[in-house]
Amino acid sequence: MSDFDPGKFEDKYEHYFAELQQAYKGAFDRMDRQYDSELIHAIDQHVLAESEPFYEENEGFRIELPDDPSARIDDALADADRFETVLATYVDELEAELRRVFDVDSDPE
Amino acid sequence: MIPYAEVMSTETQDEADDLRERVGNFLMRNFPQIQMHGGDAAIRDLDPETGEVTIRLTGACSGCGISPMTIQAIKSRMTKEIPEITEVYADTGMPGDGGPSHTAGGRGGSVETSFPGPGAEEGEDDEGPEAPF
Repeated sequence: MSDFDPGKFEDKYEHYFAELQQAYKGAFDRMDRQYDSELIHAIDQHVLAESEPFYEENEGFRIELPDDPSARIDDALADADRFETVLATYVDELEAELRRVFDVDSDPE
Repeated sequence: MIPYAEVMSTETQDEADDLRERVGNFLMRNFPQIQMHGGDAAIRDLDPETGEVTIRLTGACSGCGISPMTIQAIKSRMTKEIPEITEVYADTGMPGDGGPSHTAGGRGGSVETSFPGPGAEEGEDDEGPEAPF
């Protein structure tokens, strides 16, 4: 879509629910194919469930994560380094999906 | 003559039923995508006194990549649209689910209220990113 309105994103769950679903689904599917499915599901359910996407003119999309995300995941699923790497990749994928779905430049001025 | 305490109890129950109905209607009205995606949402717990409600997402919603955002959307919009609701918890029913978005039951007194939407035929649109769109 090309008519993204940053102001409306303040009420994103009202105005852009379907687009957000599409972005989250796209990122999840890609991550689920590339990484350990159990870890991806755990991040999805326990970290992203407490996250929130924001849009800022100079920064673009960003995902605000809950405090101490690693504490929300069973240690047996991944060691700390692995978890941090996969989570960072997941967040990058999600932000990229948001840019794609909303047709917003990846590097806003 | 109806004892005063009984009148109060009936009123309290009526208020609780009304709140439960409004929460159910809110979910049906604003989140038909849950059913369209092959999932379901149910009121798992509702405490009218504290304003805390626990929503259970099941079926495809419990692990499809959409539920985290859906949970946040429900939390954000329900507390705005239903002032009596102060806190929304989500239970995705995932095995081993013990994270913060899962709230164990125990408040008691609740009856699970499920509300399959009109377009929730099983076996249709149960997977894939195009399903809800």
